[in-house]
Amino acid sequence: MAPMAVVQTNPEEILKKYLWDQSKFGVEEATAISRAFHNSIRARVRQKFEASGLEWKDFVFGDRNCLLTEKDFADVEAQLLATGYRFDVSATISAKEAPEKHKPLKGQHELEINTEVKDGRIQVGVGDNTVTLPQSIKGEALYVHTTDEVMALVMEGVPPGRIAIIDDSGGTLTAPILEQFAAVICMGGSVRSHLSILCREYGIPCFMNAKIGGINNGDPLEMNCAAPAKSALDCQKGIERTAEIWKLV
Amino acid sequence: MGSNVAKKTVTYAQLLETNNLLQINSDESYWLCVTRTTQESKLFPVSPYMMLSYANAFYRWPELLRKIESRMSMEECGDRARNMGTKTNTLTMGWTLPNFYLLGREWLINMGMLRPEDAVDDVIYVMDCWKRMQLSYHRNDGHLSNSQFGHRSQLMPERQLQVFEADLHSVAAGDPLHVASSKFMATVSQYQFLSHCECRIGICNQGPYAFGEGQELIVRDFMDLGVGDYPWLDGVADKFLFNNLTVPMVVKDTHFELMDDWGSFESKPEFRAENIVRIGLYTSDLLTDTYLPVAMESVESLTAKFNELTQLIAEANQVLWKKVAGWSRAEMLEAGALVYYNILKDVAHIAGVYEQSDWMEIDERAARFIPLLNDEYGRDVLTELVGLLTLPSQVTNDYTLCMHGNKNGRMYSPIPYTILDTGDYTPTSGPMGKGSSLFKKQTGWRTSRGLLSQDEYNKAVREFTPFACSPEARYIDDNWVRFHTTDPAVQTLYKKTQAHSPRLANKGAGLKRDDINRLRKG
Repeated sequence: MAPMAVVQTNPEEILKKYLWDQSKFGVEEATAISRAFHNSIRARVRQKFEASGLEWKDFVFGDRNCLLTEKDFADVEAQLLATGYRFDVSATISAKEAPEKHKPLKGQHELEINTEVKDGRIQVGVGDNTVTLPQSIKGEALYVHTTDEVMALVMEGVPPGRIAIIDDSGGTLTAPILEQFAAVICMGGSVRSHLSILCREYGIPCFMNAKIGGINNGDPLEMNCAAPAKSALDCQKGIERTAEIWKLV
Repeated sequence: MGSNVAKKTVTYAQLLETNNLLQINSDESYWLCVTRTTQESKLFPVSPYMMLSYANAFYRWPELLRKIESRMSMEECGDRARNMGTKTNTLTMGWTLPNFYLLGREWLINMGMLRPEDAVDDVIYVMDCWKRMQLSYHRNDGHLSNSQFGHRSQLMPERQLQVFEADLHSVAAGDPLHVASSKFMATVSQYQFLSHCECRIGICNQGPYAFGEGQELIVRDFMDLGVGDYPWLDGVADKFLFNNLTVPMVVKDTHFELMDDWGSFESKPEFRAENIVRIGLYTSDLLTDTYLPVAMESVESLTAKFNELTQLIAEANQVLWKKVAGWSRAEMLEAGALVYYNILKDVAHIAGVYEQSDWMEIDERAARFIPLLNDEYGRDVLTELVGLLTLPSQVTNDYTLCMHGNKNGRMYSPIPYTILDTGDYTPTSGPMGKGSSLFKKQTGWRTSRGLLSQDEYNKAVREFTPFACSPEARYIDDNWVRFHTTDPAVQTLYKKTQAHSPRLANKGAGLKRDDINRLRKG
């Protein structure tokens, strides 16, 4: 049966009634891209709904030709890109396949460090300790960012005693080589992220959510694994509990 | 009212209960999410695939749940699930069933594509399915969820725990079995994250159970290891003879103070492998009567089996990683979305109504969102949706404080009660749309009866009823057993569970912990 046309004469009243996009609190999305996309989509829904002449119940799950289509969403994306906006990258494949849509991959955020030498070492960072161990651990810094770097390490093997510095809190990028690391410093995630869980399983010392600066590949590092581990309760209550990372000089 | 007045079939009581179930999930999900950051990966576009899966779940699950219930009720599915280690578990049914669906709904609401008054019958039905499944699955501990139980899950009956207590092998830090089992658990965990596209659903824990002398048992399930629903495991996991493996482990000097609805644990002090004092290995699936021991004959055989499996899994891990590293973004997005979306598929397997096209395809109504799903939007909208509660539909009035975090927000929009007056709501999102997939399934499904085709698997499941779920035994519970140990059905139920136990075979229902300890020593 063909859907009935709307007979009310005040389109604005109809839209107010059927669209939940005008909260009395006037709230908008907190992030710029969500706000931009959602505003554009909501405007398109209004246009399509108005143009359809349908009642909402027939429009919302009805004839798919009336609804927003893949082309509409492609247009939403194009509209934002046309302003010069470029997207942040999370998965490296995204930038690799469509570099024109993405910001250049960022270099590491460097922490300002105090270069004062104390006990033959400089503090070059802090992180959230996953498991408290009896003592600290030492090793050589090895940055691992990309699938190409992982593939090279798969083929050649990870040299012994390497502390991996990873900006990916997931458990898949380093899947074939993780167990070969002496320790892991992850510049993201939390002690409940997948990488942290796996390090705990392997018995690999691991700091998550690390902030570091002044570390180069091959630098001799020491991680204070004897520091208290950060718990879920700490995360929930916003309690800062960090462990030190030193460069040995 | 205009002609858009729906037929009034919804009751006030239904809405009150449904909105309560929504709020329970809103509170708990916020707590789960704020104690973690948004999971990102350099390999997979995780947040974008999550959003795609939520939309797919919203448009498809109501119909698929109805299809499952046309053959088997959620309560019966829960009974089956309680007696085996499959993906019908705490993480999948306990959390994702309501939450993936509701996250899809909330996302659509915030894009103006849905009102909280839409798909009302679906929402009520999905939440009711969750409630019935959970109450059945949690029958032994009497709760709706782990969170309602103060973050515990004591799902297993006494008869199964007695078998574990009798048969698990003792280990000490550094001995060959300890080393082999620890290496196995790390390796299989790694493989599960990869085979599940960075998602944790291949691993689930339950417990703790009191094991005397300050020791606690945690039961760890590793699921969908072999060839099966995921086409990308064809040619990777063909050598695996077990699709599911369960590792019960007894830990000393450690109290598991939290077992959340994601099947993850927290303990005091932090869990360390050196505190594992007893361990075992079992398998189960939809065609087994109980957990079947794997190489449990001796410490030596179990050690060798752990080592063999570790080697096999490590090799598969390398092959799979190289395969995945060669995927396009579209393949990564779809594979991840399918792993998330099909999280309920084992319920369809239990009911014997599994079809690959139902569970391993993206619906056209969800697929249309793909152009939006760049990494940044995926990350930000997900963070707002589950962590910040800042989307317009989520911000509540200035006087409110949510359960965790004391902010004025809720994750999910309740169904407006005004629909009871106006009748102005839509009942359902309608039938599933056309689906599609970039992945094609090539081989069969690994089961305890060998490699089966989809039709063979469904047929075998339909023809099989585990004794614990049979009419004679289904309603026998631990509390009743305490006073009816000589009842013939109780005896049979215990003996079926004990059938593969070297120490408890044929011992029946009258055993207490002291008896089991004597049998261990004898």
